[in-house]
Amino acid sequence: MTTLGRLRTFSYWYEVGLLGLFVALMVVISQVEPAFASRQVQAELSTHVFELAILALPMTFIMITGGIDLSVGSTMALSAVVLGLIFERGAPPSVAALLAVLAGAMAGALNGVFVAHVHVHPLIVTLATLSAYRGIAEGVSLGRPISGFPEQFTSLGTGTVAGVPLPGIIFALAALGSGVMLMWSAFGRRLYAIGFNENACRFSGISVDRIKLMLYTLSGTAAGLAAVIFAARRNTAKADVGLDMELNVITAVVLGGTSVFGGRGTLVGTLLGVALIHETSEFVSWRWHSDESILLAIGVLLVVSVLLNGLLLKRRQ
Amino acid sequence: MSDPYLQVAGISKAFGGVQALVDVSLDVRAGEVHALCGENGAGKSTLIKILGGSCLPDHGHVRVGGQALPPGSVLASEAAGIAVIHQEAVAFPDLNAVDNIFVGRELRRAGGLWLDRRRMRLEAAALLARLGEEFDLRTPAGDLPLARRQMVAIARALLQDCRLLILDEPTSSLSSRETQALFRIIRQLKDKGVSTIYVSHRLEEVFELADRVTVLRDGRKVATRSVGEISRAELIRLMVGRDVGGIAARPKSPPEGRPIMLEIQGLTRAGVFEKVSFSVHAGEVVGMAGLVGAGRSDVAQAIFGVDRWDEGRVLVAGKALSPGDIRAALRAGVALVPEDRQQLGLVLPMSVSVNLTLAILQSLCRLGFPSARREQTLASRLVAELGVRTASLRAPAWALSGGNQQKLLLGKWLALSPKVLLLDEPTRGVDVRAKEEVHQLIRQLADQGMATLLISSDLPELLALSDRIIVMRAGRIVGELAGSEATQEKVMSLAIPAEDDPATGARVGGSAT
Amino acid sequence: MISQEAARTGGTDRPFKAALTRLAQRREYGVGFLLAATLIAVSWKNPAFASAANLSDLLVQCAPAVIVGCGLTFVIVTGEIDISVGSLLGLLAAVMGLACSPQRANWPVVPTVLATLLAGTASGFLTGALVTFGRAPSIIITLGMLTALRGLTELLMGGEWITDLPAGLRTLGTGSLLGIPISVLVAAVVVVGSALLAGRTALGLQIYAVGSNPEAARLAGLSIRRLRLFAFTLTGLLTAVAALVSVPQLSVIESGVGKGFELLVVTCVVVGGTSIRGGSGGILGTVLAVLLLGIVRTVLVFLKLGEMATYWERAIQGGFVLAAVLADHLARRSSAARAAGGQT
Repeated sequence: MTTLGRLRTFSYWYEVGLLGLFVALMVVISQVEPAFASRQVQAELSTHVFELAILALPMTFIMITGGIDLSVGSTMALSAVVLGLIFERGAPPSVAALLAVLAGAMAGALNGVFVAHVHVHPLIVTLATLSAYRGIAEGVSLGRPISGFPEQFTSLGTGTVAGVPLPGIIFALAALGSGVMLMWSAFGRRLYAIGFNENACRFSGISVDRIKLMLYTLSGTAAGLAAVIFAARRNTAKADVGLDMELNVITAVVLGGTSVFGGRGTLVGTLLGVALIHETSEFVSWRWHSDESILLAIGVLLVVSVLLNGLLLKRRQ
Repeated sequence: MSDPYLQVAGISKAFGGVQALVDVSLDVRAGEVHALCGENGAGKSTLIKILGGSCLPDHGHVRVGGQALPPGSVLASEAAGIAVIHQEAVAFPDLNAVDNIFVGRELRRAGGLWLDRRRMRLEAAALLARLGEEFDLRTPAGDLPLARRQMVAIARALLQDCRLLILDEPTSSLSSRETQALFRIIRQLKDKGVSTIYVSHRLEEVFELADRVTVLRDGRKVATRSVGEISRAELIRLMVGRDVGGIAARPKSPPEGRPIMLEIQGLTRAGVFEKVSFSVHAGEVVGMAGLVGAGRSDVAQAIFGVDRWDEGRVLVAGKALSPGDIRAALRAGVALVPEDRQQLGLVLPMSVSVNLTLAILQSLCRLGFPSARREQTLASRLVAELGVRTASLRAPAWALSGGNQQKLLLGKWLALSPKVLLLDEPTRGVDVRAKEEVHQLIRQLADQGMATLLISSDLPELLALSDRIIVMRAGRIVGELAGSEATQEKVMSLAIPAEDDPATGARVGGSAT
Repeated sequence: MISQEAARTGGTDRPFKAALTRLAQRREYGVGFLLAATLIAVSWKNPAFASAANLSDLLVQCAPAVIVGCGLTFVIVTGEIDISVGSLLGLLAAVMGLACSPQRANWPVVPTVLATLLAGTASGFLTGALVTFGRAPSIIITLGMLTALRGLTELLMGGEWITDLPAGLRTLGTGSLLGIPISVLVAAVVVVGSALLAGRTALGLQIYAVGSNPEAARLAGLSIRRLRLFAFTLTGLLTAVAALVSVPQLSVIESGVGKGFELLVVTCVVVGGTSIRGGSGGILGTVLAVLLLGIVRTVLVFLKLGEMATYWERAIQGGFVLAAVLADHLARRSSAARAAGGQT
């Protein structure tokens, strides 16, 4: 195939464009606020992103299959409350953390059961559990924050290994694993196939329902893990953890090129989307000290990226 | 004789390399009932879609009432007075019959804002009464049996004040009483100068109702004759174009000595099919004939595990299969090539090689990762064996022609080395050359020991390939013919309900085949 | 055995039984029954509950959700969804406050009202345009709108509170006409108007058609885009109406107004029987569901749970939706079996 031919059949132009956008953004920022772009500041800020990043991984899988999970923020809250309350009862933090992650997994599994076996639209299920899980978290904890975690626990969130924050290492491994899985494994291929044509997959003997259940459970587990990391980092477990998190995660994934209709999406794109969201919101917060502008920016970003996605999809077809 | 009301001139249409229509011209006079006959794939549906405006012709034009018809626009066709009733009545499942009839043409009260529901209900009831239908008009259309839904669609067309009514296999799910009511309407319309194009496989209806008949074959118009000047045998010969046996017939081999691979005992699914029993030996091709709605696809899908059954047993190589479990059926060695290859068979945006290996992915894997080498080997072997014409293994499935897509679908299943192959309309929408290649494949597989159930509406194909033919009607098996003694007439006479047969008529239910 | 008669008449040889079955399957009656049962049970346990004052309070509380719920019902019937109404409400509250507060723009009541209605309609129109012309999934677009509008509200309010709404505006929220609170009257008018629109006009019929089978609707010559755009715009307008009658009741307007409102309203629409797939459901179900959820909240307060009430309310809302879809699923399974057995 000629070089031109190879260029034309290269299907990852969107990700390349996204990379270019990210680079451009960083260049502009470093000109406008050199202090922000310094190594120390960036390193410090990067510790904020891991919860978002970890949640974006299973969200990517779910959206590739054509589904969605709006309940990740609320599941985080539920897990955080489980973590806090069990720790308060005197259990060692490691046990509490394990139970918190387990709680997240069960919450995700409940979503999965409704989507895969009761066959309800994931939109409705996760909208309902968005309310339910947050409500349960608030009700059980009465809105009380719990802190006072021991050093060995908080070091999980703040500690570093060779200068790299511990949660970052966890995330890097997860991202690597996910990327490899998505691109090359049979499982990844099945995800894309389900997103394109679920019925054909059923007819081919692919256990679509089992896969969906697995994905939502994974999403819940990730939320539990994110809650633990957050609690370790900030030494607090409260029911308002993860507010608006689902919005950020979905925006990052959609921005990253994953189509809401299923069948299209890459891990690299999601990573770039996460990076873009992270840098944008941290910069806005740094420069203008205003959280509200972040909200506005992200909302607009989501709308724009989904419209863009729609345009690209039309061309591809 | 005045100018014909409808003039079709030189219409051609190709779908991805397959010529569906080639230079078709015909005309329909005002007040004429004009039948359109032809085998499956002859091009009838395509022509109807073009007339109805949901499909754009590549060449040619259409004139209605002396005026050119803007192509490719449903609204333009409707405005020109053309109403199409499709085989599977398209309706709004949540709305009741009255609303279905009046959506888009609602009757309003004096003020112009409010719906005049009373008048709409009365008119709807009157329209349906003309069709001999009387039922609770408040029932949502989705809950109505297909026959009723079809009547509602017809009523909607009548409301439209159409000048040309096109009916595509309208009586396939109607009882004889409803059919007669429909014929009455058509004759009434005829008196009012409304023309009708009537597409049907039921030749007696053609002879009873039509003035002229046009025969399509392989996308071309073969002949137009007055109904009075042609005999049934001649009509069939024009449709088929060759004497039966033109497809190289397979030597029919009796099944003795060979093991039974698939055995169905008293299979029943309430409202769909009843007490279906038959068996297929290794190396045997059992054909399944029947009209639309007879339940053939439903039986095949039930065997494969897509739907559950209520009573009966399915045994594959002697072992019982549990209902509703596709993976179990696959493990047992059953493969189904479904009728709707785009919706249910292929993942069109993915490549040829991915589609071929979709069902067999597990075996190509080491630790969950498919080996590119093994995939390549398998895919190229299948493509070569089946003669799939594609630019490369990486080409997306949507780029292939209908015939090659069908072969791709077959290949996907053959990769599993199944023991039992269920084929549902394997050559529908496939060009002549690919059709022959698929036939060849079926023969080869049978010779190698495959037990095949062949569902087909293409009678010559069925007769040529099958060792035995089972005929289904209204959800039951009504006859079995040995390959050597089967003829088109015998099969059709079993498949079509006789006039006053009380056990037939009402359709049991089920899918399109 | 499949009888010829039943086959031909579609099972209506027993019309009364069929009608009864249809009734039982309609969600509105289930919700209505539940509502009545809860009302009776609570009143019996605590007679003070059934007092006119208390019931009036209940209706006033439910009014905004009812008003917006009517609009959202249309949106969901066309097969789309709008989860941005809560943020829109917050934005409109800010608009109202900023417009007529004596310390801010100090507009008279009428221009304030007009500005609010205009802002709501424009936002609804924008959302609808993005969804229909952008060909983007409404869940994502409205998720983005939800955030963007909330951000915009916070920017406008600048972190401050507004507490000095003029009396003229306050009466909208707290006043009464003929002894009935204005908000309840307005809600009643909206409900009646919406029900008429849905059931008695061609527009309403077409909206249901679009949701039931968009492809067939296109073939029937309906403009799917215009119908959906209408539903979204109407919702925006109704959100403005709801804001006008509910915000003046607040002693403080701050940027958090309306948080969680969209969840409440969508919950009510879904629980009330409107299918997320579109094409079915209606105003009555939504209204009954709003009342039911309103009673649940009041019950929680009455049970002297205090703070807990607000916390558990969300959990209960979510639980209701899950219960509703589960009930749907079970009903569909049993009716499919019944249909297959006796119908054709």
